Amino acid sequence: MEGDLGPYGSLLDALRGVVWPARRHVRGAVSGTHRSPLRGVSPEFTEYRPYRQGDDPRRLDWKLLARTDRASVRVTNDRSTLGTVIALDASASMAFPHPSLDKWVQACRVAMGLAAVALAAGDAVGIIVATASGARASLPRARRSVLEEAARLLGETEPAGAEPLVPALGVAGAKHEFRLAIISDFLGDGDDLLALARQRASAGGEVYAVHIVAREELEPRGAAILATDPEAPEIRRPLAAATREEYQRAFAVWREELAHGCRAAGAVYTEVPTDEAAERAVRRVTSAGSGSLLRGGEQ
Amino acid sequence: MTFVHPWALLAAAGAALVVMALHFIARRRPRAVPFPTARFVPARSVRAPSRSTRPTDLPLLLLRVLALLLAGAAFALPALEAERRPLARVVAVDLSASGRSARAARDSAASYLRSGDLLVVFDSAARSIARDARDSLAELGASRAPGSLSAALAAATRAASTLSERADSVELVLVSPLAAEEWDAATGAIRSLWRGGVHLVATERAEESAARGSTRPSVEESSELEDDPVRVAAALMHDSTARAGVRIVRGAPGAADSAWAREAGHVLVHWPATAPDDWPRRESPDTVGAVVAGGAVLVADFARTVAPPAGGGLVVARWLDGAPAATETTLGEGCLRDVAVSFPVRGDLALRESARRFISALAAPCGGARDLAPLGESRRAVLGGGEQRHHSRALTPGERSESRVTPWLLSAAALLLLVELLLRRNRTPGEPEGAA
Repeated sequence: MEGDLGPYGSLLDALRGVVWPARRHVRGAVSGTHRSPLRGVSPEFTEYRPYRQGDDPRRLDWKLLARTDRASVRVTNDRSTLGTVIALDASASMAFPHPSLDKWVQACRVAMGLAAVALAAGDAVGIIVATASGARASLPRARRSVLEEAARLLGETEPAGAEPLVPALGVAGAKHEFRLAIISDFLGDGDDLLALARQRASAGGEVYAVHIVAREELEPRGAAILATDPEAPEIRRPLAAATREEYQRAFAVWREELAHGCRAAGAVYTEVPTDEAAERAVRRVTSAGSGSLLRGGEQ
Repeated sequence: MTFVHPWALLAAAGAALVVMALHFIARRRPRAVPFPTARFVPARSVRAPSRSTRPTDLPLLLLRVLALLLAGAAFALPALEAERRPLARVVAVDLSASGRSARAARDSAASYLRSGDLLVVFDSAARSIARDARDSLAELGASRAPGSLSAALAAATRAASTLSERADSVELVLVSPLAAEEWDAATGAIRSLWRGGVHLVATERAEESAARGSTRPSVEESSELEDDPVRVAAALMHDSTARAGVRIVRGAPGAADSAWAREAGHVLVHWPATAPDDWPRRESPDTVGAVVAGGAVLVADFARTVAPPAGGGLVVARWLDGAPAATETTLGEGCLRDVAVSFPVRGDLALRESARRFISALAAPCGGARDLAPLGESRRAVLGGGEQRHHSRALTPGERSESRVTPWLLSAAALLLLVELLLRRNRTPGEPEGAA
């Protein structure tokens, strides 16, 4: 990779060759790597069909005409690019645990990884970060500098506040035909995000829900604490040995419901714990959607 | 200072330890930590028990422990008592008429008395002297009343309970002539209340010559009745010679009689055949079935119209219902007895042995019949008992001089608890709370 990518250099190196295929045919004007429903002039041969009046004579297969004395047109599948928007939740709940902020760090690494994978396929990539001071975004572009801009944007962002992600997506003008990857803990506007996913999926868009979960949230340990919700300070509850098991049970149920809700909305749900290697997480996300709507290997 | 209920102190100390332990395992509000998934934690009390190496809420702990200890000390009833010593004595000295010399008795008692010992002086009654016993002893005179060992033992037992506060053992020293007349039916039972031995110091008994009764009294010649039953009964008494010291007057005693009665050992029995006018009349004359004097019981139908003159004299005979029938008044060195018993003229009452015993009882020496014979060996053995001393713990607890600090201690404990309550209420809500 080129440029100043800060701490993400090794991650992006490890993700070379990883592809993130579209789940549906992509109708686009720019030639890319994702299958298009259009028949075009790509070198990938599909079939021959008899020449009809009006066909471009340049598409005639002259060798076949010479051999068989029949005019046939070479039909190929067209390839297109898929714009990708990666939305990051930078609310206070992502600033956990202190002081390492593993959730935010993991979210940034996954975002950079997905961006790099999409960019490698020639897709335009944009980053949207919902911060306390409002939405910050880099518009979808297919230039290499996108990664550097994204790294700078994430580096400048400090997770705080309780800014919802959905309005930020509207502000950033994320189009329906774009592939949307939401990286969040879904503790803030989870329901709104689900509604958005449902809306986009029904419009033919692709939505990836990447759920960042801290290991400390999954398996809290240590002395009793007064757990305080950073986004809702009025929620203060003792997390001790007596309540730990009940908490874990409730949290697991909620995650299950969230995953089910995402899938029902047509989104691809992937839970990413903070102690998982970001490279592996990115591979899981990118492969989670493959083959669900298109046949495996058909890209 | 000692405590009446030391267990209360122990209980308070135990409670204080529990409180201290609770302050080490105090329920406190745990450290507030941002936790994004806090909403999934079950909503419960925000306080959780936690152990600490240092006690929490030191001021509260001090207040609570202090209040508990003060309350414990108050309930333990602190009592002030003198320094204990191994042995204390109760010296009972007999100054009754049973003894020959009161001075000898005083000297004997003084040789046993030490500082802090108790002195019990007795004749027919007893009283204890706690302060300046030696000085008081020197000022005591002889009594004309007969001695009573029962009274002495009862008073000594009672007095010894006060010594139990100051001594481990109490010894009873009985300085007495130990005459037979001093023993009565209750003496043995009262003696059994004293669980140790009694150190007996026998003094000289009074002379028996003047004391022995049961002699025939002389009845005055001026009796108006020819067949005076009293005269008849007296004449039938076994002693053939009339006793010179006793005179029965059936009429009004003259000046000569009074002068005679003032002589030492003389007993003038004023037993009028007809009740004098100056004697108190009974509101309703009646009859009564018996009259008792000393150990003699005379059963007959007695008409009762008057009572012996009230003068604070000693009652020497009583009717069956307890009313006085004869009283004795000291007259010089002798005595005068007024007898309000109307002896029936008819019948054989005068011939009965009981009548003679009754008259003999009325003719007993002043102060009653005396038996100055030495106390029998068996009774002396009972009286002396063993060698062991009476342990003070076996005594009935007497009144302790309870310390006046008890209400103050309770008040202080209550005040501390009040302060503790205020302190607890004034805490800021977010402040960790100890064992509340």
